[in-house]
Amino acid sequence: MAIETATPVIELRHVDKHYGPLHVLRDINLSVAKGEVLVVIGPSGSGKSTMCRTINRLETIDSGEILIEGTPLPQEGKELAALRAKVGMVFQSFNLFAHKTILQNVTMGPIEVLHTPREQAEAEAMELLRRVGVDSQAAKVPAQLSGGQQQRVAIARSLAMHPTAMLFDEPTSALDPEMINEVLAVMVELAQEGMTMVVVTHEMNFARRVANRVVFMADGQIVEQNSPDEFFDHPQSQRAKDFLESIKGH
Amino acid sequence: MGVTEVFTTFGDVYLRSVLSTWLMTAVCFAGGLALGILVTVLRVSPVKPLRVAGDVYVQLFRNIPTVSLLVIFVYALPYLGATLSYRTCLLACVILVVSSFASENFMSGINAIGVGQIEAARSIGLTFVQIVRLIVIPQSLRTTVLPMTNLLIATLLTTAMGSQVPLTPPELTGMVNYVNSRSVAGISAFIVSAICYAGTSVVLGWLGNKLDEKVRIVR
Ligand SMILES: Nc1ncnc2c1ncn2[C@@H]1O[C@H](COP(=O)(O)OP(=O)(O)OP(=O)(O)O)[C@@H](O)[C@H]1O
Ligand SMILES: [Mg+2]
Repeated sequence: MAIETATPVIELRHVDKHYGPLHVLRDINLSVAKGEVLVVIGPSGSGKSTMCRTINRLETIDSGEILIEGTPLPQEGKELAALRAKVGMVFQSFNLFAHKTILQNVTMGPIEVLHTPREQAEAEAMELLRRVGVDSQAAKVPAQLSGGQQQRVAIARSLAMHPTAMLFDEPTSALDPEMINEVLAVMVELAQEGMTMVVVTHEMNFARRVANRVVFMADGQIVEQNSPDEFFDHPQSQRAKDFLESIKGH
Repeated sequence: MGVTEVFTTFGDVYLRSVLSTWLMTAVCFAGGLALGILVTVLRVSPVKPLRVAGDVYVQLFRNIPTVSLLVIFVYALPYLGATLSYRTCLLACVILVVSSFASENFMSGINAIGVGQIEAARSIGLTFVQIVRLIVIPQSLRTTVLPMTNLLIATLLTTAMGSQVPLTPPELTGMVNYVNSRSVAGISAFIVSAICYAGTSVVLGWLGNKLDEKVRIVR
């Protein structure tokens, strides 16, 4: 095999961020290779969401650098919008557009941002909705769908932009237990198809099954990272041990 | 002179004054909505000075009595070299006031959208202008039909300010003076005008409810 010094899809270099006096991200260094699935785990308030949100610049950073496929994130405006679309984001609370149908939720990005002709955008959207199993709901509005269905639509909406990477911020935390698996199944499939993914989740089975690496965060720092089996079975730091102990009961 | 006599004697002037009131209401409401959208876009823009300008605008025109504004337009503007017709002054004043209230309604509609949808829109690469056009304006229009209906009725009633300046044809409130300076109708002229206002308001209110049922966003 040829020796490749592949550019990471996502790279954070010495990223620092404060919220007023609160130091939420402390010298974060992280690089995610193409096709890699990274699970981010850590106690509440440790900065997991903030890190995700800085990656597609929903939050600014104080210092350091974030690169997407080797390109630094631009400051603002059209350029940033374009680069942002390359990194899909799935939120805990789905955030579908309430006034649009399921189909329109998925076609809006392609039509408005990528300037895909409407017919083609709709055909692609239906294909994506079929993949995540909600094509029969295409004409409904978000409020008519269950949480699990809405989250799968949100995933389809991100995929419609042909992203090079996807960020998931606790995608199953707002779901009733019986709906968690249908969303995780879609994510597992995505991972197996080679999507580069950063997933904030406490779903250990998911992490063990598809993650290449688990990153443990505490107090705005990356404390420990390892393969899922190593991390869950032999955590190194006391903080990780305490944290794993605390979520065991659940 | 009784109510029926007022009708038979001044019927066609009344008709013209009703139409004039409706037309002014329509112009002021449409102008107020358009200006209100513009001001609201300023108030939610990422540029701080624009946000401040929008807020100041709303505080200014929401808190000055319309009649004072009208006095300023009619008596003060000519000193600044701008003499506008009475009708233009009236329309401009009502539009300014309506736009500030419309903007307040829009702001509450925007608050109902929630930051999550806006972030989702940003994350698929939509620009600020696209988000405003595709998400913010449609959703806030559709969630504010009822308050906007109230504002429309308030606009109708505010056009009564036209009775403070000479207008031909007079609007409904000015019409009361018109009738009473030509005959002794007393309270009857008031009653006829009141019936016209109330009738219009009831119809507008009903239409507003129907529209709201149709476009309301299920959340
Ligand atoms: N907009 C904000 N302004 C001020 N502080 C904030 C803001 N957003 C987050 N924080 C704070 O930053 C810290 C990190 O928050 P973050 O949401 O990234 O944590 P998290 O690891 O995702 O936690 P959780 O597991 O609860 O989602 C927390 O202490 C939080 O209170
Ligand atoms: Mg979080």
